[in-house]
Amino acid sequence: MGIKRRDFLKLAGVASTSLLPDLAAAEACAPDFDHSFGVLVDTTVCIGCRKCEWACDQQNNLSELKKHDFEDKTILKSHRRPSKDAFTVVNSFTDGAASDKISYMKVQCMHCNDPACVSACIVGALQKCPHGVVTYDAWKCIGCRYCMVACPFQVPAYEYDNALDPQVKKCTFCMERIHDGQPPACVEICPAEALTFGKRRQLIDLAHHKIKKNPERYYDHVYGEYEVGGTSWMYLASTEFVNTELPQLPADSMPDNTEKIQHGIFKSFIPPLALYGLLGLIMHSLRNDKNQQESE
Amino acid sequence: MRCRLLQSTTVAGILFLISILLYGFAVAFNPGDTDLNCAECHSCETPTAQDRCLKSCPSFSMTHVTADHNLSEAPGTIFLDYIADEYQAVRFDHKIHADMAEMGLKCATCHHYSPPGRIPACRECHGGEANPNSLRQPALKGAYHRQCISCHREWSHDTKCVICHLPANGSLSTDSYDSTDILGISHPIITEPVKKVYHISCDEGNVVTFYHKQHVELYGLKCANCHQDENCSYCHDLAKSSPEGSPSVIAKSPEEIHATCNNCHDNDNCDKCHDSRERPPFSHSMTGWELNQFHENLDCRACHPTGKKISRLDNSCSSCHAGWDQSNFEHSVTGLRLDEIHIEADCIDCHMELHYEKTPTCDNCHDDDINHKETPPGTFLMKAKSH
Repeated sequence: MGIKRRDFLKLAGVASTSLLPDLAAAEACAPDFDHSFGVLVDTTVCIGCRKCEWACDQQNNLSELKKHDFEDKTILKSHRRPSKDAFTVVNSFTDGAASDKISYMKVQCMHCNDPACVSACIVGALQKCPHGVVTYDAWKCIGCRYCMVACPFQVPAYEYDNALDPQVKKCTFCMERIHDGQPPACVEICPAEALTFGKRRQLIDLAHHKIKKNPERYYDHVYGEYEVGGTSWMYLASTEFVNTELPQLPADSMPDNTEKIQHGIFKSFIPPLALYGLLGLIMHSLRNDKNQQESE
Repeated sequence: MRCRLLQSTTVAGILFLISILLYGFAVAFNPGDTDLNCAECHSCETPTAQDRCLKSCPSFSMTHVTADHNLSEAPGTIFLDYIADEYQAVRFDHKIHADMAEMGLKCATCHHYSPPGRIPACRECHGGEANPNSLRQPALKGAYHRQCISCHREWSHDTKCVICHLPANGSLSTDSYDSTDILGISHPIITEPVKKVYHISCDEGNVVTFYHKQHVELYGLKCANCHQDENCSYCHDLAKSSPEGSPSVIAKSPEEIHATCNNCHDNDNCDKCHDSRERPPFSHSMTGWELNQFHENLDCRACHPTGKKISRLDNSCSSCHAGWDQSNFEHSVTGLRLDEIHIEADCIDCHMELHYEKTPTCDNCHDDDINHKETPPGTFLMKAKSH
């Protein structure tokens, strides 16, 4: 990595001393997730054509695959995960074990409102931007892969075959396209418009409108509205989400719990004070013992 | 002077009357009294005859006004080529699809939110580009695909593009084309069954005889009264069809069948339908009153107007024909034209206590023992039966 070890330690030192004021500031100007960007995935509309995979591949120059390679629909059953060569994949699922009704689900980085990967990243290579995107800065990344462990959706992938300059790879939300006023490449190409790009609050309203208008078509739950504190990508399905590959997650965000414990322990320098206090006590008692022995 | 005063009072009176009439007319035909919301169709607050300011794509809910067109008005084949680039224009057989939709929501199966009058084409509301201000409204490509694929995938379990599209370069390998799809194939005429006999195992009776034709012709049921929301996949499920491609009707569950029959027979007992043997079709003589030639061709509802529940009627003539008396009843339809003396008589003079089905009497006027057959009160018409 380009950053020098000494610089990094300095940065880390500054960061740790200024941690408390930073947290307070973050709470004061919490990001406006109603107006951040998001995508609503309607799995009842998705036809599993894999055009989104192809568009993503083209946009990010990911693989050597040709367009007709994406027309193979047999692999939809194989429950693929996003990888360094495919930031998004489409998998099939059924409405429970007994059902033969096949639906399709596109998976990619969910761009969580309070991302566990961002919290886990010790160098700030992953950032949650106010417009909703979780960005990755390869220049800062030290390759610890904590983000991969932290992600509840197991999305970030790693370039294990790249010995010299490996990077963490995941959906970029087509940041450059959003800056140009365009929707992400996958959203634009979707022939059935199963993907709707917009402001997160509008998408939640749209999702609930769809459920209300068509209660037989949809299971009454918008996945991502509350899961792990809310996500930018949200899902509608005809069945309970336990039948899909999306994990069952609590409404509390992951960092909400972990940061509470960690920051709680280190609050007001209690652990170092306690440690040095303990050491001091031991030293003091040892010296007392020594003095007693000498006097004897 | 007085004359002029009278004149002007008359004119004022007439004008007053006209104004009252006009007011009454305006109140009676005020569209504001209906449960329609003006803003659903009009973009301005006070539309006038000159400036109706009609919205191009009003968003009606389906329970409100929907245009229901006759099939014959519908277009035949439509070439959907407004956004064709990668593929050739789609040859869409509108007539076949409209025909099939007759069993479902009719035109509204696809043409949701249609204003009264002409049904707008998809592209009139769904523009070529997604509208960022209205996330609920898909762009034209999404709208087409959602409408077509949602049904097609149900019966073919397939979402191949080439089911509808031919590639733009025209070279199409035959192996990728699904020839079992319905496009370009005329649907054979569906013949209505006269009756269906269901042999089931049921405590209430193992045989149910259902007279389909009678339900349609005699009871006046429309297809959609029972065949609700049935689309192609109800008969055609390629995963379940025989190899020859003949349709396999997916069996309904007993609950579904009962629900359909209970739309009308909700107050009937099991033995209304269930029996141990096949039953004959309904004939009115079963009820104990055989219909004569004047009644046998009537629709049931002409006498039993109560709709769902056919109640037992009083079979005296006056229970339906209360207004008939000697002044307005044309007696010759019964096969007996009364002569000029008897035509003046009251009905009750010959028909005792107005019991028309009993033999008429002559005793009320004639002392001698005569009967109406030997000395008729008019002329018997030979062709009375064919009346």
